Amino acid sequence: MSDARMNGHPGFWSDLGQLVRAVGRAMGVTLKNFGRTPVTIHYPEVKRVYPSRFRGLLALTYDPGTGEENCIGCRLCEYICPPAVIKVEMLKGEKRNFAKTFTLELYACEFCELCVQVCPTDAIIMMKSVDLATADRRELLLDKDRLHAIGLDFEPSWATGNRLRDMQAPPKPAKGVAKESAG
Amino acid sequence: MPPAVASAVTAFVLLNAVIGMVTYVTLLERKFAARMQSRIGPYRVGPHGLLQPIADALKLMMKEDIVPTAADRWVYNLAPLVFLIPCVLIFATVPFAPGLGVADLNIGVLFFLAVSSLEIVGLFMGGWGSNNKYALLSAMRAVNQIISYDLPFVFAALIPVVLTGSLQMSAIVAAQEALWFVAYPVIGQLGFLAFLVATLAAENRVPFDILEAESELVAGFRVEYSGMKFALIQLGEYAHMIATSFLGALLFLGAWLGPGPLWLGPIWFLLKAMLVFLVVTWVRWSFVRIRVDQILAISWKLLLPATLALLLVTAFWVALHGGPGV
Amino acid sequence: MADGEARHVIELGYGGNERLVMNMGPQHPSAHGVFRAILTLEGETVVAVDAVIGYLHRCHEKLGEMLTYAQYPSIASKTDYVAAMTAELAYVSAVEKIAQFEVPKRAQYLRVMVAELQRIASHCLWLGTWCLDLGGALGGGATVFLYCIRERELILDLFESLTGARLLYGFHQAGGTRYDIPMGWAQQCRETLALVERRVDEYEAMLEDNPFFLVRTQGVGVIDKQLAQELGLSGPLARGSGLDFDLRRAEPYSSYEDFDFTVPVEPAGDCYARYRVRMVEFRESITIVRQVLDGLPEGPISSRPGVKSVAQVRVPKGEGYARVEGARGEIGFYIVSDGSAKAYRMKVRGASFSNLAVLPHIVPGCKIADVVAIMGSVDPVFGEVDR
Repeated sequence: MSDARMNGHPGFWSDLGQLVRAVGRAMGVTLKNFGRTPVTIHYPEVKRVYPSRFRGLLALTYDPGTGEENCIGCRLCEYICPPAVIKVEMLKGEKRNFAKTFTLELYACEFCELCVQVCPTDAIIMMKSVDLATADRRELLLDKDRLHAIGLDFEPSWATGNRLRDMQAPPKPAKGVAKESAG
Repeated sequence: MPPAVASAVTAFVLLNAVIGMVTYVTLLERKFAARMQSRIGPYRVGPHGLLQPIADALKLMMKEDIVPTAADRWVYNLAPLVFLIPCVLIFATVPFAPGLGVADLNIGVLFFLAVSSLEIVGLFMGGWGSNNKYALLSAMRAVNQIISYDLPFVFAALIPVVLTGSLQMSAIVAAQEALWFVAYPVIGQLGFLAFLVATLAAENRVPFDILEAESELVAGFRVEYSGMKFALIQLGEYAHMIATSFLGALLFLGAWLGPGPLWLGPIWFLLKAMLVFLVVTWVRWSFVRIRVDQILAISWKLLLPATLALLLVTAFWVALHGGPGV
Repeated sequence: MADGEARHVIELGYGGNERLVMNMGPQHPSAHGVFRAILTLEGETVVAVDAVIGYLHRCHEKLGEMLTYAQYPSIASKTDYVAAMTAELAYVSAVEKIAQFEVPKRAQYLRVMVAELQRIASHCLWLGTWCLDLGGALGGGATVFLYCIRERELILDLFESLTGARLLYGFHQAGGTRYDIPMGWAQQCRETLALVERRVDEYEAMLEDNPFFLVRTQGVGVIDKQLAQELGLSGPLARGSGLDFDLRRAEPYSSYEDFDFTVPVEPAGDCYARYRVRMVEFRESITIVRQVLDGLPEGPISSRPGVKSVAQVRVPKGEGYARVEGARGEIGFYIVSDGSAKAYRMKVRGASFSNLAVLPHIVPGCKIADVVAIMGSVDPVFGEVDR
């Protein structure tokens, strides 16, 4: 390219050099990424590892010792839910109360975990999975039986009401200070 | 059989082959681009996505054909055809092996370059007939750009012609038997480079893809087309892209010349054309686009003088060597 | 709304009747959300711009009145959804200011850490979407976008290990934070930061010194310092115009005074200057997070017990405004409380809402392609604009 018709702009060659270097660098980065393994996870054959605090589907639990339902129908979760998707009716019993009906509209749920946070008996928890895809929204209106079934079908995540509140509570003067907590 | 029938049969076979190749080239581009972006391209439809182009073609055929009410009907409906025909016609002049081609004209390169720039008529018809401001803007930009870049494109393509002394494509390849034109010191490499840059612009590929500028003009002149007409436009675009890749491989990389028996020739040609295509794709997926006035500045102030200068130097060199041929 | 500059373009000899009114509508690949700009064009030059917003109005201020102080932090992230932690921080800071709640040191450090991590993630998204606008969804822009999203996903994975969610974190509560860092998180965080640092080098290699990128961004959309001050711009937009103001340094909140970081300021005021500011902020945020991880004190994460009922947080009568340096500028929450568990009035000062005011001043006179470059460098998030 030695023709004198090339304009005599003093920075021309340096501009050209910069262009060539920049082009080379950018294409080099693209080529380097060509050689990297793709980050794609082949769902559903391969599922990614969910962290232990994952906020997935909601479920009701049974007491592992006695096999009774944990829910005492206190309705704290109903009051705190920001989009008000939980509806509970209490059933009074002799020793303890139960929930007569417990509906949770999963299609409107924010997954904010506030219901889990307030539950005094760790009855409502979240699971480490969101595999409940359906073509009909009515199937996501979970009643008490389905919530208990979800609790048995999937793996629960770490957070329960008491664990969360213990993590947040200021330490008592006698106990040592909280360290990096488990979970 | 009479030569007319033989030509017709060859042309028919070639047309189908071109359409088949175009659909699979889209898959190649998608997988290649995906790997550069740390992901995999189409994967589910058929093993590793091999049936994806078929699925896309079927989908486009089944889509509703929407014509805007206020569109200029004749112009709007004819535009995809007027766009597609030159893009596919240029394949007729490209010989795939010595003697294997529809029409190895003795003005082959001239015919190719002239007809390939006719696509712009179809493009502008599409932009105008859609009666859509986005489409019109994009069509006007496209006319600007393609006209500006056709000149350097032609001059870059003329370098091998000058080195050979003939416009006939098979003669150009024959002249590369000793040494491919891209291997000629300086003029070969720079000529190829100029050809690639002009190809990027003539094909509306990033960084010169101001025509479609997805983030500004949302598909440019194609925005009002749906269904089969859109498929024809896509077909035309990719066919043009591959045809210029073939031309580049033929002019600079010695088409079917390569080690091995003669029947391996078309395979080499295909591989070289795909190499050119992949390099263009690699550039496409690495850069942001530049504004239309900057594109035109590059063409008129940089590329045109550069290719003219190269052509002059080539001509001097040929004259010094006493004639074409090494 | 043609101003002096636009009239100059007309006098230069365009026909005058060749004006085209084009709608860069709410549905547009580069609208950064839902934003409508009615552009008046003469050829390729924009003569006037009329910005229409409100397509994402979701009544946050009303929600602030209906939900209690314990419930609202879970959806405060929806205002600035790209930099969610900073929005939550602003809300709880306002509540704490009125009620005079103490925030323990560890909680303050954790808040700083997540805010800075969120800033890195937000800038990743900014760079990706900006390059997507500049370079096209089918082109180099998409490549940079996917690289940036790949890195942002790593940071969101960190947040997922910490809180369980990737957007509506609910991490902050009045008086501290809700979650503490789990085992092994600090190590994972350090590894992620090292990786992001290397990748930021790669982005710079692709873009810095790239003449294609430079011609698109240098000299485009110049906001001068005077204009930035008059319009109340904040964040990287103002710092790219020479205004040296950063809330983290001017009014340190949540223990920012314990950390050592520089605040980048560029005088040029064009898109390239704003790009440089944000790229330096990437690295500064990485430095801050490392300092936090090194110096994280032991202690409680909240000065108030965990939420056990919906009306637990009661705030005495009063009003207060708290502001934080979000990724886009100053995010502020102004709360008027009447002594109950819900706010009487909550006003959100979204950074992008004020930043968008600059458009009618800098867009007329530039080309269409520059409009997208400018929009991208202003980096609006419509959750904040429309609330």
